[in-house]
Amino acid sequence: MTLFGLAARNALRNRFRTGLTVLGVAVAVIAFVLLRTVITSWNIAAEYSAQDRIATRHKQSFVITLPLRYVENIREVKGIKDATWMNWFGGKDPKTPDEFFANFAADAKSFLTVFDEVQLPEEQKQKWLEDRQGAIFGSSLANKLGLKVGDRYTLSGTIFPGDWVFNVDGIYTSNRKSFDQSSMIFHWQLVNETLQGRLRDQVGWVASRVDGPGMGADVSAQIDKIFDQYDTQTITMSERAMNLSFLGMFSAVLKAIDVVSIIILLILTMILANTIAMGVRERTSEYGALRALGFTPGHIRYFIIGESITVGLIAGLIGVAIAWPLVNNGMAAVIEENMGAMFPYFRIEPTTIAIALLLALALGALSGLVPAIQAGRLSVVNALRRVE
Amino acid sequence: MIPLSYNLRSLTVRKTTTFATAFGIALVVFVFSAVSMLSAGIKKTLGSSGKPDNAIITRKGSDAELSSAIDTPNIGLILAPKEVARRKNGQSDGVGEVVVVATADKVDGNGVSNAQIRGVPEDVYEFRPEAKIIEGRKAKPGADEAVIGKAIAGRFKGFGLGQSYELRKNRPVQIVGVFETGGSSFESELWADVDTVRTAYGRDGIVSSVRVRLSDPGLFPAYERAIEGNRQLGFEVEREVAYYEKQSEGTSLFINILGTVVAFFFAIGAMVGAMITMYSAVANRKREIGTLRALGFGKGQILFSFLFEALVLSLIGGAIGAAAALAMSLVSFSMMNFQSFSEIVFRFEPTPDTIISALIFAGVMGFIGGFAPAVRAARMPLIKALKE
Repeated sequence: MTLFGLAARNALRNRFRTGLTVLGVAVAVIAFVLLRTVITSWNIAAEYSAQDRIATRHKQSFVITLPLRYVENIREVKGIKDATWMNWFGGKDPKTPDEFFANFAADAKSFLTVFDEVQLPEEQKQKWLEDRQGAIFGSSLANKLGLKVGDRYTLSGTIFPGDWVFNVDGIYTSNRKSFDQSSMIFHWQLVNETLQGRLRDQVGWVASRVDGPGMGADVSAQIDKIFDQYDTQTITMSERAMNLSFLGMFSAVLKAIDVVSIIILLILTMILANTIAMGVRERTSEYGALRALGFTPGHIRYFIIGESITVGLIAGLIGVAIAWPLVNNGMAAVIEENMGAMFPYFRIEPTTIAIALLLALALGALSGLVPAIQAGRLSVVNALRRVE
Repeated sequence: MIPLSYNLRSLTVRKTTTFATAFGIALVVFVFSAVSMLSAGIKKTLGSSGKPDNAIITRKGSDAELSSAIDTPNIGLILAPKEVARRKNGQSDGVGEVVVVATADKVDGNGVSNAQIRGVPEDVYEFRPEAKIIEGRKAKPGADEAVIGKAIAGRFKGFGLGQSYELRKNRPVQIVGVFETGGSSFESELWADVDTVRTAYGRDGIVSSVRVRLSDPGLFPAYERAIEGNRQLGFEVEREVAYYEKQSEGTSLFINILGTVVAFFFAIGAMVGAMITMYSAVANRKREIGTLRALGFGKGQILFSFLFEALVLSLIGGAIGAAAALAMSLVSFSMMNFQSFSEIVFRFEPTPDTIISALIFAGVMGFIGGFAPAVRAARMPLIKALKE
């Protein structure tokens, strides 16, 4: 039997206690993986955002609109491939007014060019482009609302009062992780026609595609310079920067989650260290015997740390094996349907798994460290004399 | 009965193990109490913004001030009904205000966030007598001056006394005073003259909401009938208290869900920790247990004794955790409110409930964790225990 095999076997001596420890550590690992996944999924919108897309909005406030003619001005800027515009609609399902989902009015044709990750079957696309009252739904949202192509759907407006009836013309999927599948999009023109006076011909923000990924910053600066002379100033930034600034607003929550995930690691270490310390105390006389047989203090330390690493790693593997299907096959669908705006793609990242396992290993070693050092220092005589 | 000091001394014999277990429980209780304090803080901040005798009038369907718009000429109609309280000079006690969310740079240079800007009429201090200037002076009506809420003062660039904030290009307002409102969410707002805000953000001729004080809270149904009865106006009347309750729902639900999930996982970890400790305590003290039984103490008394020990262990942890959480009340926490999309400063609000539920929570963990080991101790056959 190898030395490590001996160390690992020690874990099996008190099966009941080891079992409990593995359970406790595994639960901590599951919680850790869950919390990390919240953070990584939150960042996905920024991480996977299109490199060659920029957005222009009102300089001071996202609730204030821009004049429609700005779109034409932006299209004339050198380096802009195409531009589209949209308005946040903020409608609610009259049956479930407390539930939030993203819905906005966009210029359909240019929207599908600028956001080419939005995938629609060709006939649905044609139908939507021709149908003034048409709307498209993300597949998660359609699933949640139980809609299929050909249905009718009513939205009650908050910013634009009244009940709005739409035809479900298409159900889109997105092949970019940063664009969620839980939005509803319909024609900007339909909304605009009902507005009068200064509310007419206003757009919430303009999204444009630039010729190359490296050009975003230059083109953005150029756009803002043009409108600096105008009555309404703008701020233009890359899609990534915009998503990042949105995430920045929730930085306090993210920080809290971060802190909590560190606390859970502390708890994990406590449980493990407790178990190892108990085992070591019970085996003190045994270590004396080993020393008397000629094993060095290094061997003793090796046994103890080897045992704690084994327990930590087994628990880590069990935790990960439970967390993976729990999140990716269970929670993912629920969260993407209900909170798609924040978590467009809620999955465990392979790196999270790797981090969790490495931490289980490292904290396993760490929790064995103090008992190992203490046991290594014991003199043979004292260790043999101690009876417990 | 077995003397309780027996258990207390037993706990001090194994200091490391006792400490590790209690510390684990303390961490769990800390997170649990911090979450409930934060949730209480959110309720308090937003809850104290509404007063029972006030009503808020917005456009029908717009579920917040931010998306509502009321034409200025209609303010008179809203203030007219006889249910509205009168001031000493005979005028109706009510105000029409404009609310805008604007971006502001965080003072620590960590990106931008959104702040709520409120355009207030001159008589706002009569309508909200709890609003008091604590530094500087009131803003002069009609001038480009503003006062800043105590909670948010200094958190954004330009938001300090004597500084100036650009509502839009070339439209700066000078901060001439700092006000407090007794901890409500108004303290996270910037108040400028209603006309200044309206012009700066292109909101001429409208206000976001009108708030009125009723001569008696019981008059609300009558007032509601008077205003909502006129369907052409399309207004919605809500009690101010209910309005703010709705505003705090999303954020406090989010915090509660996150907190419950985390506390659940943590609790399992801590219970396993307590169980491991108590099992080993029982295993190590077989001879003691045998002796106690031989002396004539019954099974029930042994059971009680070990349960008591587990409870003490967990309550020590609980007390440490609750104390650490109480220290959090010195920290204020700036967070995005989901409903208004602007930053609101919350505090961790300690309530007697927090302490009591923290200790109960710790006690339950100790009881569950200690029950099975205590049963094992009680059931131990006397002869076998003594033979050890």
